[in-house]
Amino acid sequence: MSDAAAVVDLFPDADLAGLAAAGPVDVVAGVHIVNQARRAADVLDTVASALEAYSGSRRTGVLVADAESQDGTAEAVRAWRDSGASGPPRGCLDLLAPKHRGRAILALLRAAQRLEAQAVLLIDGDLTGVRADRLQALLEPVLGGEAEYVSPAYTRTVSEGTLTTNLLAPLTRALYGARIQQVMGGCAALAGATIGSWLEPGIETGDWHPHGAELWLTTAALASGARLVEVQLDRKLVTPGGPQPDLATILVRTVGPLFALMERYQAVWPDRTGSAAVPRRGDPSPVQADARTPAIEPMVRAFDLGLKDLLPVWEQIMPESTLARLYPLALVDPDEFRLPPPLWARVVSDFAVAYHERRLPRDHLLRALTPLYLGRVAAFVVEARATPLARIPESFDKIDRAFEVEKEHLVARWR
Amino acid sequence: MQDSWADILVKSFREVASRLTVFAPRVLAVLTLVLAGWLVAAGARRLAIRILGAADIDGRCARWGITATLGRTGIRRPPSELVGQLVFWLILLVGMLMAIEALEVPAAVGLAPVIIRFLPNLLVAIFVMVIGWLLANFLAQALLIFIVNAQLTGGPALAGALRWLVILFAASVALTQLGIAREMILLVFGIVFGGTTLALALAFGFGGRHLARNALESWLQKREDREPDDMSHL
Repeated sequence: MSDAAAVVDLFPDADLAGLAAAGPVDVVAGVHIVNQARRAADVLDTVASALEAYSGSRRTGVLVADAESQDGTAEAVRAWRDSGASGPPRGCLDLLAPKHRGRAILALLRAAQRLEAQAVLLIDGDLTGVRADRLQALLEPVLGGEAEYVSPAYTRTVSEGTLTTNLLAPLTRALYGARIQQVMGGCAALAGATIGSWLEPGIETGDWHPHGAELWLTTAALASGARLVEVQLDRKLVTPGGPQPDLATILVRTVGPLFALMERYQAVWPDRTGSAAVPRRGDPSPVQADARTPAIEPMVRAFDLGLKDLLPVWEQIMPESTLARLYPLALVDPDEFRLPPPLWARVVSDFAVAYHERRLPRDHLLRALTPLYLGRVAAFVVEARATPLARIPESFDKIDRAFEVEKEHLVARWR
Repeated sequence: MQDSWADILVKSFREVASRLTVFAPRVLAVLTLVLAGWLVAAGARRLAIRILGAADIDGRCARWGITATLGRTGIRRPPSELVGQLVFWLILLVGMLMAIEALEVPAAVGLAPVIIRFLPNLLVAIFVMVIGWLLANFLAQALLIFIVNAQLTGGPALAGALRWLVILFAASVALTQLGIAREMILLVFGIVFGGTTLALALAFGFGGRHLARNALESWLQKREDREPDDMSHL
């Protein structure tokens, strides 16, 4: 498939004409946005002002891809584009159906490739409180030739992003050998030269969940051995553009793509051992206390109910040796609930293998992980309560190491 | 005495011999038909497996979860082999029916055409049952997972009820297709399905309305308690 054909598949060629007319664009900021009509102009102004710092030395441009908003975001974006304000040139990609965030990200990357961008900044329009200097900090390592992929590292509270800290990041670290904090940071910078090698032919036809494209981008960077840098940012604040899905659907949309990517890159990850730290710009900030301590009892109750009622499904996914280690947990008092990292890593590994072997419909399999995940979160919160804040990073490391140890077992079973 | 004894022997020998001369070609025909049926069936099985293999049916069934579902019921053979076996036994059955017909046994006269006419309906009925069974398992599992994730109790019972309802529906469709007691099946299904629904509605309405209200209130309360979620998972 030629690049031109791929672009035509994602958005009309004419959308790029204005930006491409004057030649290559050195720095492209791509914003993917859904249902943010009220905030769209502010977000885009911030992005445009971030690029103004480079306007003297480089040609810059802002591209926006609306992923089928229902609240007039597309009109707000077009009004912003046509407002005639000074700053970098602006363009909108009118996505061809099916419109969703995954295709919006791919369209932005394809467009940046067409514009021969040296550096690309990708931003999720849901991010709140993004500052122009932070976006510049993301771009700097790429423009300085220091990195091909720059990922954000956020300041976080103890129980913030538990799916990331307990599953997505540890599994990614164990698989691809890099200790990256965020696998779906909401923003990232990448070198234009790398885009072509990551965008495999036919990738647009993939089953992209809303988070799938972001996960793929991070994984592609890790799998390709690209030079990585993390940039320390503030808290990750998000204003979702619509109702949030239930937890089971979140698992389907995040863990599903992660497992699917294990299949895509199965020639790469089994041979990687250990993990290396990712160079970070900015000092890591300490973990902050939660504003409100999460309630443990409902999570333990969900785990117990799963163990009681969902056992016939789990028996298809996990071997008896794993289940035997889960049974005693049902007898424990919520405040003493433990689901230790090695057991959790084994559970995730069992699910990954079952997903790969298609032992049951994948949607069912991923949804069946929900009570186990809640059990793990409950155990994590119980442990965190008894741990001083300064030592919470050790808890994260313990989880990460458990997944690294588990990897050998995973590789042995992955056929 | 000796003559009559010899006569009897000769006579009975002749009779057996004459019967054998009449019957032997038929037996030979039967053996030939069974052997030919077996050979054709074996060839067709091999051909079917090869064609299905070329169409990657085993891979597709694995991707659709059919292989795993079969595995759970103890069927370990790949789907292409199962279809091959079905083809084999169908052709062998036709061969054997022809063989029985060739014997010209009074009790079996006209049996073959009846069974052969019945075969397409039987195949459709088997197909309906297989699809119904797969659908029943899929829906029951989806319902069970949904109920558990919604943190409601009674999931296994409801999932089991749904499974049997779908299987019952598939069975009634299959039996109707076979033309077995068509009116009775429709009537029984209507009575069982309608009666169960009415009974549950009445039981829920009269006997358990307070329980239902409490359950709904508790469920709504749980939903309210969860909003906003304590956790940011991502």
